[in-house]
Amino acid sequence: MKPFAYSRETGLDHALARGKEDGVRYLAGGTTLIDLMRLGVEEPSTVVDLRALPLRDIKADGDGVQIGALATNTEVAYHPLIAKAYPVLSEALLSGASPQLRNMASVGGNLLQRTRCSYFRDPSSPCNKRMAGSGCPALDGYNRSNAILGVSSSCIATHPSDMAVALLALDAVVHVRGGGGERAVPMGDFHVAPGSTPAVETALQKGEIITHVTVPASPFAQRSHYVKVRDRASYAFALSSAAVALDVSGGVVKSARVVLGGVATKPWRATEAEAELVGKPPTSMSFDAAGAAAVRGAVPRTHNAFKVELAKRTVARALRDLVGKA
Amino acid sequence: MVDASLKRPLSFDVNGKTVNVDVAPMARLLDVLREDLHLTGAKEGCGEGECGACAVIVDDKLVNSCLIPALQARGASVRTIEGVAKGDVLHDVQKAFLTWGGAQCGICTPGMVLAAVSLLEKNPKPTEQDVRVALAGNLCRCTGYMKIFESVLKACETAMARESASEAAR
Amino acid sequence: MKNRLIGTSVPRKEAFDKVTGRARYVDDVSFPGMIYGTTVRSKVARGRLRGIALGPGIPWDEFVVVTAKDIPGINAIHLINDDQPCLADGVINHPEEPVVLLAHPDKHLLEKARQAVVLDIDELPAVHSIEDALAKTAVVWGEDNIFKRYTIEKGDIAEAFANADVILEGHYETGAQEQLYIENNGVIASYSEEAGVTIWGSLQCPYYIQKALIPLFGVGPERARVIQLETGGGFGGKEEYPSMIASHAALLAKKAGVPVKIIYDRAEDMAATTKRHPSRTVVRAAVMRDGTVVGLDIDFAIDGGAYSTLSQVVLSRGLIHAAGPYSCPNVHILGRAVATNSPPHGAFRGFGAPQSIFALERHLDEIGKYLGIAPDEIRRRNFVKPGQTLATGQVVRDDVDMNVLLDRALEAAGWGDKKARFAVENREEGSVKRGIGLATFLHGTGFTGSGEKFLASIVGVEATADGHVRVLAASTEIGQGTNTIFAQIAGDALGVDYDVIQVGQPDTAFVPNSGPTVASRTCTIVGKLVETAALGLRQTLLGSGLLEEPYSSEQFVKACSAYVARSGELRAYAEYKQPPYIKWDEDTFKGDAYGAYSWAVYVASVKVDTLTYEATVEDFVALQEVGKVIHPTLAAGQIEGGVAQGIGWALYENVVWKNGRMANDRMTDYIMPTSVDLPPIRALFAESPYSYGPSGAKGIGELPMDGPGPAIVNAILDAVGIGIPRIPATPEVVMEAYLANTSVTRVCRATEVARG
Repeated sequence: MKPFAYSRETGLDHALARGKEDGVRYLAGGTTLIDLMRLGVEEPSTVVDLRALPLRDIKADGDGVQIGALATNTEVAYHPLIAKAYPVLSEALLSGASPQLRNMASVGGNLLQRTRCSYFRDPSSPCNKRMAGSGCPALDGYNRSNAILGVSSSCIATHPSDMAVALLALDAVVHVRGGGGERAVPMGDFHVAPGSTPAVETALQKGEIITHVTVPASPFAQRSHYVKVRDRASYAFALSSAAVALDVSGGVVKSARVVLGGVATKPWRATEAEAELVGKPPTSMSFDAAGAAAVRGAVPRTHNAFKVELAKRTVARALRDLVGKA
Repeated sequence: MVDASLKRPLSFDVNGKTVNVDVAPMARLLDVLREDLHLTGAKEGCGEGECGACAVIVDDKLVNSCLIPALQARGASVRTIEGVAKGDVLHDVQKAFLTWGGAQCGICTPGMVLAAVSLLEKNPKPTEQDVRVALAGNLCRCTGYMKIFESVLKACETAMARESASEAAR
Repeated sequence: MKNRLIGTSVPRKEAFDKVTGRARYVDDVSFPGMIYGTTVRSKVARGRLRGIALGPGIPWDEFVVVTAKDIPGINAIHLINDDQPCLADGVINHPEEPVVLLAHPDKHLLEKARQAVVLDIDELPAVHSIEDALAKTAVVWGEDNIFKRYTIEKGDIAEAFANADVILEGHYETGAQEQLYIENNGVIASYSEEAGVTIWGSLQCPYYIQKALIPLFGVGPERARVIQLETGGGFGGKEEYPSMIASHAALLAKKAGVPVKIIYDRAEDMAATTKRHPSRTVVRAAVMRDGTVVGLDIDFAIDGGAYSTLSQVVLSRGLIHAAGPYSCPNVHILGRAVATNSPPHGAFRGFGAPQSIFALERHLDEIGKYLGIAPDEIRRRNFVKPGQTLATGQVVRDDVDMNVLLDRALEAAGWGDKKARFAVENREEGSVKRGIGLATFLHGTGFTGSGEKFLASIVGVEATADGHVRVLAASTEIGQGTNTIFAQIAGDALGVDYDVIQVGQPDTAFVPNSGPTVASRTCTIVGKLVETAALGLRQTLLGSGLLEEPYSSEQFVKACSAYVARSGELRAYAEYKQPPYIKWDEDTFKGDAYGAYSWAVYVASVKVDTLTYEATVEDFVALQEVGKVIHPTLAAGQIEGGVAQGIGWALYENVVWKNGRMANDRMTDYIMPTSVDLPPIRALFAESPYSYGPSGAKGIGELPMDGPGPAIVNAILDAVGIGIPRIPATPEVVMEAYLANTSVTRVCRATEVARG
């Protein structure tokens, strides 16, 4: 690891000021940053530790809930305001990482998690995300874990977060603070597809800090579910996952959310799949149709072609489980 | 060698005693425990937070010390495997691992014992499923985990039997 | 001799140190002045090394730099053929080939320097699969890419195939598997002109390393000393590889003049060190309508990687186990170990047998399915019985009835109930299907054929001044319980308490060569020598007049102590004597391949999600006949741990290759089972004592690796009617098989043969 300076900030304004300096990286749970620093992917000259900032509360916010950016994944997953009212969020968090990593990882850090693409994580390999214009070996290389949706000719790296997939399904809003004050970014706008600039992953600007996330009350939040297909049951990233939520009344789906994880460059809302569900009774037939719609436009590669079929079926599985358990 | 001028003073509690060390800024908590404090019970199995061999308890939470910058531990209270037994008197969990085959090669054992201790402090009567979930961040390649589950559950039995005995005595 | 310790679960000898964090592994040890070493590797699968340049920005004068020209003796890692160089010199044969060694006191600078070394390599065409190696798309080793070829012949295969009712052919593949011990490979080396080389490290076989250091440094054994420290798992992964890392550290230490420690990080350990040999097997079976297998024609090939290392031995074990515990009268088995341009594959629990057993046990279920005979029944029709012969012509001497074992395992697994229940449930709507599958197999104890005779292992026991007895053996404790079972065996032979026995640290300067800690031989072969040596010591003591029968433990300790005070020392040794009936022909592979076998029936229950293609094991029963269980807790622990590794091999652990290099060299990307992935694993034992094992014990360490792969995949067949031809059966492998077709002929070609 390259030597770096370390400081801990206790006030938000001070922390924001530090963020303007060159070579500064903010540190929260450390589960992504320290790992990437060890690999030489991240080489900040200064690490500013945010963990002492007062951004840890989880509290009611009108009919919804407000989650501080520094709340740990464990705290969120087991919080009484979350576990009951937003099962999809709790399930997504508990399906990720391992107990001790969930004790460390923060909500803000989770939103900013970097991809697990092996070419990104290997500094000796080209990677457009790490070094613009250096090329993307994943396109023709080993791309089993890479994305089939939201891809570009520059990058097919998968977004690794489970939590973000659930938050998108719940219409959550990310609140950030910067030099110019506060702004609120809907989850749907927070993560951006790589396009020709894969280094840009989120709407967060340099020097901004995520302060909290708000999750509104919604007619479908309580009837929501997360399914993750992966290689094993603990600490594995999704091969394919789906966060689904349904508002059913009178035997007909009034509104629906279908968001895919593990198969796209960002948490992937499948609006066409949602359209397949709305206005129809919740049956296996419409679930399968939703699955098929969810992967329309997918761009498979040599080792990840299976994900097209798998993602389709993950959506169907999640919807079936959801209706079964409700 | 890391330039000595880059080193920063760090003070925190380890197993109930305050320690003061000068550490390089990029040192991880694991490095400070092993190299500066000679507490070599925490092991480095992967360096990426996957295997849990480096697990320690910081401020009552089980964490992986390979992912924690040492300076982040300032003022924290850290428990390592060396602080689990009272002298030569073993903790119930340690005794159970010794008796019921919870340790084979032993390299995952310190992290595994701490994960179990951390679980039992929060949930003294876990089910086997609770145990499985609580230990899911600690990899063991020798045992297939069965004897580890058994050890943790036996440790609970011991603790509960002692509790009811002491209640009966009262 | 009465068993008071054997058969009981005494506390593991070194458990106190392990549960308190006091146990010292190599990375916990340091010496004054010690510096760190690292390895610069080729990164290119095959090529010609033109030059080595030390790049800019590094204070190179502070570094110790070692290349092939610094090797004082022969540039090879001594094993069987000595074809593997210690440091590449001119030729590169795989992408992890060590080329340059560096040492420096600062680990961080060392890593920077490693990246700054520039290797100038002209790339050459490489071979990356068994098929390409056999087709000679490029010749990368010898004349034909074949390290070794063996055949086994029994009966008349041509006639069997001419007269069979049905011929079924199946192709089966198994992937590489990383041992993934949680402690990475690591050693410390020191060097002085007087003492020569000393190695401390994480290792299974101290004498292998000594034998490698002798030609490398051109010294005698007295100047090559190897000491095993507490070792955090091996499973074969620390059998031959430590000779490499120890040689590297020793070369650096000689040049540096101070001790050098090399500890691999996880990525280097995964990518550069040995793994289980990938395999591909074609099984052609000649079968009668009633399920009797009358002919087996097996073509078994394993990928040995770039150098021959142990591949021929792995091949032979795979070959000998390929025809299983069946009496098939006509057998032809061709075995080939081929060269490819990946790092050499090596020892891993099971040692070739899991690969060939996977193919046969899968194929039996395909035959049964084709003929409409249940998996248990088709095996019953083919089991070998005592007095009948195995594929090598070995007459079965073990007192074993596989039918009895099968009955017991099926009962424990609830086979009949589950079959009935799953048949009903699987017909219902819903995408989750369940199935149950089994594998029946045997595994030989100890080295093959005359191997043990050539090893001529020696074990000593000595009395200490305070009256304890110390076992002296080079057999290492790597988690499997060597220290504990040796103490049990010696304690019972001497009739003393467990605490009276100590087990000496394996150190080539102090312990005799009891052979390598491999091949399920430690308990049976070495344990028997411990027993014999202990009985010898007891005899001496009884003859000395200091001890009389009957005696207590305390009296024994006093007598020992008195003897040492009087005579200076009290030692007894035992050397291996081959059981007289063993006859083995290494050239024709005919005869008694092993002194004894352990026999097993494994049953797996699985759940397959036909929507997401995930297969999950829900229950696992592992029943084995092992002669005698020395320590119930340790024995069950061995089986459970081995089954867990087998489940990993079957479903999760996928080594991804890119140009001969492991692409997923992180624990996050290479998936071993966690505590939430495994079913209840129920280890059951049967005991039929083997007269040449201590108290009748046979080997158990490798056995559990053999059964899970085929049992699980057979259970998937039962659940969804799909025969998976290769493992690991990851979701995409299951999907591929699923979408391809569900019929058995995807795997097997069936030919009706007109009967004459």
